[in-house]
Amino acid sequence: MIRNLNIFLLFVSVVMLAGVYALKFSIEGTASARTALATQIEDQEGQLSLLKADWAVLNQPGHIDPIIKRHQEELAIGPVQQEQFGAFTALPMRPAKPDTAAMDALFAAISEGIDPIDAILEMEVIE
Amino acid sequence: MAAITEGHVPTIAIEGARKQRGNLTQARIRWMVLAVVLGLGLVSGRLVQLGMAETDQTIEGQTRDAITATRPPILDRNGLEMAVDIRVPSLYAEPRRIIDVEEAVRELRTVLPDLDEDWLRDRLTGDQGFVWVKRELTPAIQEAVMRLGIPGIDFITESKRFYPGMNEAAHILGSTNVDNQGIAGIERHMDTESVALLQELGLARGNALTPVELSVDMRVQHVLHEQLMDAMTRYQAVAAAGVMLDIHTGEVIALASVPDFNPNEPATALVKDTFNRITSGIFEPGSIFKTVTMAGALDSGAVAITDEFDARYGIRFGRYTIDDFHGKHRILALPEVYKYSSNIGTIRVMQAMGKDNYRAFLSRMKFDKRVEFELPEMRVPTVPDSFSEVGAATASFGHGLSVSPLHMATAYAAFVNGGNYIAPTLYKRDIAEAEALYERVLRPETSAYLRYLMRLNAISTGGSGSRMNKAAQGYRVGGKTGTAEKVVDGRYSSSKVTNFFASAFPLDNPRYTMVIMVDEPKAENAQSGTTAGWNAGTLTGRVVQRVAPMLGIAPDFSEAVDQQIVPAEVRQLYPEGF
Repeated sequence: MIRNLNIFLLFVSVVMLAGVYALKFSIEGTASARTALATQIEDQEGQLSLLKADWAVLNQPGHIDPIIKRHQEELAIGPVQQEQFGAFTALPMRPAKPDTAAMDALFAAISEGIDPIDAILEMEVIE
Repeated sequence: MAAITEGHVPTIAIEGARKQRGNLTQARIRWMVLAVVLGLGLVSGRLVQLGMAETDQTIEGQTRDAITATRPPILDRNGLEMAVDIRVPSLYAEPRRIIDVEEAVRELRTVLPDLDEDWLRDRLTGDQGFVWVKRELTPAIQEAVMRLGIPGIDFITESKRFYPGMNEAAHILGSTNVDNQGIAGIERHMDTESVALLQELGLARGNALTPVELSVDMRVQHVLHEQLMDAMTRYQAVAAAGVMLDIHTGEVIALASVPDFNPNEPATALVKDTFNRITSGIFEPGSIFKTVTMAGALDSGAVAITDEFDARYGIRFGRYTIDDFHGKHRILALPEVYKYSSNIGTIRVMQAMGKDNYRAFLSRMKFDKRVEFELPEMRVPTVPDSFSEVGAATASFGHGLSVSPLHMATAYAAFVNGGNYIAPTLYKRDIAEAEALYERVLRPETSAYLRYLMRLNAISTGGSGSRMNKAAQGYRVGGKTGTAEKVVDGRYSSSKVTNFFASAFPLDNPRYTMVIMVDEPKAENAQSGTTAGWNAGTLTGRVVQRVAPMLGIAPDFSEAVDQQIVPAEVRQLYPEGF
């Protein structure tokens, strides 16, 4: 009886020993994986910080302005002038009633197969 | 057990054997107990030892945490980054682990040739656990050093401050030292406020810090800085500076002073003359101070906007006679005194108010103390505690006292916003927060008169701000020129001047005020002059022309806008308003 118990306990302790060792090794593995991940994250955060700094530089008015100046003539652009601003009050009022005669003429022309837009498109060579 | 089964054997031996065995067992148990106690003692002793051991967390006197501590990013009012943290590698060595110092020195110097050989050898010799070799390197250099494979040489990642705007907002931002502590500008202020505390508590780690939002608009800041740089070459000036405030909230929209420095290289801040002229420079403000005199006199009720003043002859004070520059030498109405920038007329306006009342008004406008502001670089203005007759006379047109351009900008903000003094700030502040801080210094009617006077100076013929207005047509800018002669060898020199232009726009419903300073300008060409209208004035016009659309101000050319700010009393006298 007591011998069987002893054998059983011996067996259990061997199994538990093996279990504890397996656990220990798996924890070591997890820990090193965690360290590797942490290093990777830190590395990428570092790279991210550099990219963010790059982005901030590229967005600076002080960085964009010289580029615009360089291409000013080619693109025909420049700082906005006062005359370029309009106001709602400056828009002409809508005509009192629609020009029905002209509309009728337009619809008649379209139904005959003549589209006035085509003529404009051909003239301006718009494809 | 064997003894018991052998029952018949003579007795003594058995008893002896049992006793012997019993004794033996007891001895064994004792030994076992001793062994177990010793074992346990060993284990707990080791535990205590481990518990007592202090791992060295410091790097050359600093905690490891302090080196990797981060600072919050600084954003402008539109969310554009003005300062960010970047992670950079720093090279360190563990001398006790270096095997061959000579080889290490030789190899390191192939990658970092600017390291001094003797210094490096000295650095790597010894028994220390940690020494810096070179901090804040580039990833490329890190790669090259790693490739050398020297034992005992390694990298640690540090946080470094980076300012993507380079020089543009240098004086606002200031800079940080190699340990990431603010040494100037808003960086320094942030440290005294909060960041230092956070870092001390160990909270400022990683990228989780809330960004700090400033009131500065980088677009406006860029235009201002660019125009100031342009002024340096255009007028061959010694220095130029400018500041723009939101008059209702006191927020600084732009603040620049050239020559400046690159905050990414803090050493450039040590070069002479790069100080912040807006906050830590004090100057005799010259004629832009006449607006202060007008404000005080009109507000006290001692003079009315329609009063006339005798400017026919200069005013004598003992041996001195104060006269006008390009004087009209006739009787001038108050708006004319302002528009022609008459010294005589301004003195008479001040005298109507009384010199002690005038001095009290300067205190009310806080001209005699430092402006409450975040930047640590501030200077105390020099305003005499009490005025003599002649002292008050010169002070009325801005001589004999020195204040910073920020004082002037703050005062002008109060002059045009309805008469409320609001201390400037670099942090975002909304109108409700600002209203709680308002301090009434003028009546709203006085503020309306001043708006009229400033606009008058820009649009009427002979007004000193007309050249400014030409550039900024339609944006309803108004302001006052100031040409302050510098003291050279104890005398005022007419060739060396400091020029100012203090302005506000759009004057029908003012929102911004600006003070521009150009130090010792020369004439741009043979046809132009050196007075403030030619340089500080036109510079203001060009800046407004660029920034008004950015600030959401649409141009308006209708005359009705200018007419509506003319006070009723003036209209009775001059029906056309000017």
